[in-house]
Amino acid sequence: METDVEQLLEVADTSPETLQAVLEEHGWGDGLPVVPPTEDRVERMLAAVPDDPDEELGLLLPRGGVVTPRVAAVNAVLAGCPPAVFPVVVAAARALARPELNLRGVNATTHPVAPLLIVHGEIVRHAGFNAGVGAFGPGNRANATVGRALRMLLLHVAGAVPGRGDASSQGQPAKYSYCVAENVDESPWESYAFTQGVTTPSAVTIHCGEGPHNVHDMESAGDPALILDKIASAMTSLGMNNAPISQGEFFLALGPEHAHSLAGAGLGRSDIASYLFDHARIRAGELRRHFEERAWATWMKIVDDDHMLPMTGHPDNIRIFVVGGPGKHSAVIPSWGMTESVTVPVVEKDDAR
Amino acid sequence: MTTRIYRPDGVIGQPPLELAATPSSLAGMRIGVLDNGKPNAALVMTRLARSLATRVDAEVSLVTKKGPQGRSANAAIPCAPDVFERVVAESDVVITGTADCGSCTAYSVHDAIELEKVGKPAIVVTTTQFAPIAETMAQHFGLPATRRLVLPHPIGGTAPDVLERWADEAVDRALTLLRP
Repeated sequence: METDVEQLLEVADTSPETLQAVLEEHGWGDGLPVVPPTEDRVERMLAAVPDDPDEELGLLLPRGGVVTPRVAAVNAVLAGCPPAVFPVVVAAARALARPELNLRGVNATTHPVAPLLIVHGEIVRHAGFNAGVGAFGPGNRANATVGRALRMLLLHVAGAVPGRGDASSQGQPAKYSYCVAENVDESPWESYAFTQGVTTPSAVTIHCGEGPHNVHDMESAGDPALILDKIASAMTSLGMNNAPISQGEFFLALGPEHAHSLAGAGLGRSDIASYLFDHARIRAGELRRHFEERAWATWMKIVDDDHMLPMTGHPDNIRIFVVGGPGKHSAVIPSWGMTESVTVPVVEKDDAR
Repeated sequence: MTTRIYRPDGVIGQPPLELAATPSSLAGMRIGVLDNGKPNAALVMTRLARSLATRVDAEVSLVTKKGPQGRSANAAIPCAPDVFERVVAESDVVITGTADCGSCTAYSVHDAIELEKVGKPAIVVTTTQFAPIAETMAQHFGLPATRRLVLPHPIGGTAPDVLERWADEAVDRALTLLRP
């Protein structure tokens, strides 16, 4: 039964069974058990950020729900977030509303796109995110619950409910939770956020793409080209939206061992991106045969059919960050296409660190 | 003893909208087709426009893709501003789509609502399988009454003669959507 207070619901009790029934009655939830968003839990969450609880952070499409820190906190509680991670959820909510991310399309499409959240900087350590072994999951509360909180916002505020505001034909396991932390301690390079001009102590990036495509290479010690050729191979597919949409980005999640092999050979991020731009290619005629409409950069439209076209329109669209632990695995994360990644500062309270 | 919990959905930030007024007669009207480039979209919508024009003594004034200068189309973003201006200038009613996937349904409904806002009645062509998505998008974008014409599914991959028959069979329903 709804109370006279607009944002509150009166429930018989806060048992898992009652909560699940309330969610189902309203068409809410991700199908998993939740933590009850009681007033005291929401207040504790809000105490972790300096923001006005009712400030409008943005409008989340397609539903057009207004996300505020309070609404974000409710969803963070439902998802099981500890308050220390909440500044990342608020930053991610701001990022989701940015127009270049095209959330209306990201949520509505039949494609299995999910926003990947990459956490950078000091908050990785002090809020307990996992940037190392098994960073994509499972087993770490910060990664798991922040990714889930983001999905809760998409379901509840953006209306990305399967079959209604989310038409994804098959769905995607990454739509439950999709959050990692950049392993800057094991990276040969500066934080990815710095490359995007975001130099605050902590930041978050959102890239709307597919699930990670694994690249396993344990043979090529001393020959970085062999690692990169395998990565280029994983990037080269007619089934990816990057093939017909040249603005689409690729995020390359390099494992630390691959990153050090490449850096040890003198390669920087731009060298790697250039190599992959040059090697991840498909014949123009084959692309034309498969795609009636091609959202290509103009220069790509005028080449002859035998020309080998790159899987993205510019090397800058190949974005590189380091994540994971020991072993010889990296991952390619293709784009949905008509979306641009966004990197924003994470704003914490002064005494948080 | 009950407990209070917060709702997780937040208030709606988009204002409610109204359909554009439709003329008492469609005779002499200019029908524009705004094509999002989906396979067979131009074919089925152009046929629908022509059959509709024949029925009511109107004309098909414009068939254009929705990308810049009408040269290309991307179904997952809004209609290019220059094409939107041209459609508004050269049409009295508009047929747009096709809304037969997710993001293209979202943006076809969006484009139609933008046209309704500037006084141009606009029909979104969708399919049985995507009609629920189109309905949801219309509600979310503040105009639940958005004119939606539902064809069988799928449009992409269906033979031209079948698509033409579907278009012809839909003329009466299109007329109903444009009734004053």
